[in-house]
Amino acid sequence: MTPAADIPLKEPTVSAAAGDAEQLERARIDASTRVPVLMFYASAMVWLLIGTLLAGFVSFKLHSPDWFSDVSFLTWGRLRPVHMNVMIYGWASMAAMGTAIWLMARLCRTTLRHPLLIVTGIWFWNIGVLIGVVGILMGYSTGYDWLEFPPYAALVLFVAYALIISWAVLMFRFRRGDQIYITQWYLLGAFLWFPWLYAAAQAMLFVVPVQGVMQAAVGWWYANNLLFLWFGAIGLGTAYYMIPKVIGRPVYSYHLATIGFWTYALFSSWTGMQRLVDGPFPAWMITASIAATILTIIPVATVGLNHHMTMQGYFPVMRYSPTLRFTVFGAMSYTVFSIIGILISLRSTARYLHFSQASIAYSHIGLYAFFTMIMFGSMYYIVPRLVGREWRYATLIKLHFWASAYGVGLMSLMLLVGGLVEGVDQNDTSMTFIESVASVLPYLRGRTVAALLLTASHFIFAFHFGLMLFGLGRTSTVPTFLNPVEAEGSETHL
Amino acid sequence: MKGVVSLFIGLFGTFAFSWVGLTVIPNLQIGALNPQMDEEQTDIYPAPKSGMAERGRRIYAANGCIYCHSQQIRPDYASADVDRVRDPGPSPRPKWAERRSAPRDYIFDRPVVLGQERMGPDVANMGKAAPTEEEGSAAAPAANAPPNSPPPAQSPPANTTTPKSGTSGSPAAPATSPAPPAGSPPAPPAAAASPSPAASASPNPNGLPPAYSEAWHHRHLYSPRSMSADNRDSTMPAYRFLYEKHPISGERSADALQLEGSDAPPPGWEVVPTYEAKCLVAYLMSLDQSHPLKEVKTAPGAAPLAGSPPAAPAGSAAPAGSPPPAPPKK
Repeated sequence: MTPAADIPLKEPTVSAAAGDAEQLERARIDASTRVPVLMFYASAMVWLLIGTLLAGFVSFKLHSPDWFSDVSFLTWGRLRPVHMNVMIYGWASMAAMGTAIWLMARLCRTTLRHPLLIVTGIWFWNIGVLIGVVGILMGYSTGYDWLEFPPYAALVLFVAYALIISWAVLMFRFRRGDQIYITQWYLLGAFLWFPWLYAAAQAMLFVVPVQGVMQAAVGWWYANNLLFLWFGAIGLGTAYYMIPKVIGRPVYSYHLATIGFWTYALFSSWTGMQRLVDGPFPAWMITASIAATILTIIPVATVGLNHHMTMQGYFPVMRYSPTLRFTVFGAMSYTVFSIIGILISLRSTARYLHFSQASIAYSHIGLYAFFTMIMFGSMYYIVPRLVGREWRYATLIKLHFWASAYGVGLMSLMLLVGGLVEGVDQNDTSMTFIESVASVLPYLRGRTVAALLLTASHFIFAFHFGLMLFGLGRTSTVPTFLNPVEAEGSETHL
Repeated sequence: MKGVVSLFIGLFGTFAFSWVGLTVIPNLQIGALNPQMDEEQTDIYPAPKSGMAERGRRIYAANGCIYCHSQQIRPDYASADVDRVRDPGPSPRPKWAERRSAPRDYIFDRPVVLGQERMGPDVANMGKAAPTEEEGSAAAPAANAPPNSPPPAQSPPANTTTPKSGTSGSPAAPATSPAPPAGSPPAPPAAAASPSPAASASPNPNGLPPAYSEAWHHRHLYSPRSMSADNRDSTMPAYRFLYEKHPISGERSADALQLEGSDAPPPGWEVVPTYEAKCLVAYLMSLDQSHPLKEVKTAPGAAPLAGSPPAAPAGSAAPAGSPPPAPPKK
């Protein structure tokens, strides 16, 4: 591996005294975010494990329905929304906020003031998710996708969010330097869009409920925008920070980034109704969303090209850097996610895929292959800087990566192919309905295998994270590389 | 500082555009629909549901029925929804629908449960599939009859609808189908496998209530895979927590479930639906989008329990008193 020789594997340092001052400042900023960000991550990890166990349970019960079905709070129809909401509000949102706060502090070059208020917010958020979960298990689910939490849980989440995010916005207010980096656009967007989105959805569904099918329209508008403008925006923003940072090279083109960001904000916010294709709605709503989904190819192409050109010549670094490997996987999945989104929302394919497992595949590619993988990558970067230790076992990181990558790959494949088989059968009226269900069962069993892989991956990561949290990481000035770097052959990191 | 202002204006503007475009404007268009009625202000459709059915909707949503059952029928050019018939049921088997769904069908629904996946069949017209009055009244005693007594006037099972196990040679039982529930008595193969009308006269040893009747729904919720060979592959979970098992005190309850084999309670005990289960079934049986709507084409030849050839005059689609449907498609 000759390229390794000239590839900066450490954080790019500005040498001598200026560099020292900068390092010192960074360390001070990192220290100010230590407690809240680690709390975010620790909470997110707990929810991730709970959500993963629930996922395996839900996946297994879908093809073996008699398992624990006699207990009301273990019935499939309650566990499924609990899994979904734990993953969305427990794991993904908390990891997203942790990473976003850390990035915001770094990019605004300002310390986090009054972290205790954010900590209070984190407690409220956890309590809100817990209340919501218990509410669903007790049978108080609202019945709206991704909004199953009873409204009182949503209220707690909202208060928590206000506590947390006002500090991120305050940091922006006290930023130093004129430049607003690309990542900050995405983060500010997400910070402002999420409360609007959440409040609008809650208001239109529970406070002043809209009539009939408009509830479904609001629901899917919320769900898709949450996916794109909350998770997607934070995911892309993180990728825009991590990729250039790790390889020590500026983003290829600022203009491409501008085009990518604004087209992303404009087009992806108009998606959602394609999930109701051919339903009881005016056709223009659905057509508008299908058109917007197709137009998301513009941000996908520009962002993808930008990342690709930034990475050009530096792809071998993925052999060493865990952060880069996860982040690039996520960034590439963003392209896959959008292309699959286009393919399943076209009317000609929706005929077969609309009511099938393919839409579950789509959500998982978006939330897991794209977003969660980028979050893993950012945690591999950020946690060592907060605890002052390096990740202990390169082997565990590799296991985590491959189990996650193969797990989500297998799951997507099973659900997409199974969905297609199911959908074609359901449109063939010479077959009974139950035959279409029988035809998808083998794929659902395959999905359970994928769920086992992901479970293994998450427990490995949680163990590794736990070691870091309790100060059992490696003390070293060199980050943990996935493979020994020949250029610095004296060090082996195992 | 100028960059910051334009950034924030852009962030607000793009999202406001989406919010107004996808929720506010559609809400102006279809957010305040009224029921449809004819000139005499009669024949109003849709009508609000009863209190029990409304509570049933909550139970439907809270227990996740929505994740496997849709309640929306796509138009004929977009899918085979209107051509599909239900798996179990009398012959001709009830159709999923006669027409596509329209916004007006849902104006009283809260929460609206359109669904997003079909691991189970669409239930938008589940109530429509219920046996008609005379069938229902004839079936009523069957629901309360002791096991092994033949229900009168049982509609013949459709060709693939064999009532019970023991039909491994029939096309309805795929080789992969799981073993029948232990203890379920095998049906006489000859009678069960026969699709001929004569089968209707033959005794039904399982005492299955007529498809989609109230008793059928209760038994289906309690033990989804016990209903017929068709349901053997069903992945529907049992909702036994909506039912109570208690010793019979005095007389057997009128609404006690007819169960056999391993599902059956021990002697002297009975399984009765809770109030929640009754609400859920009331809700399922209230689901009916068969009433014609002015804005939607109704399939030709639509009639209750259709499946009849499209040669039937288009006018027959409309229940009495309703305006005639649009001309036949195509």
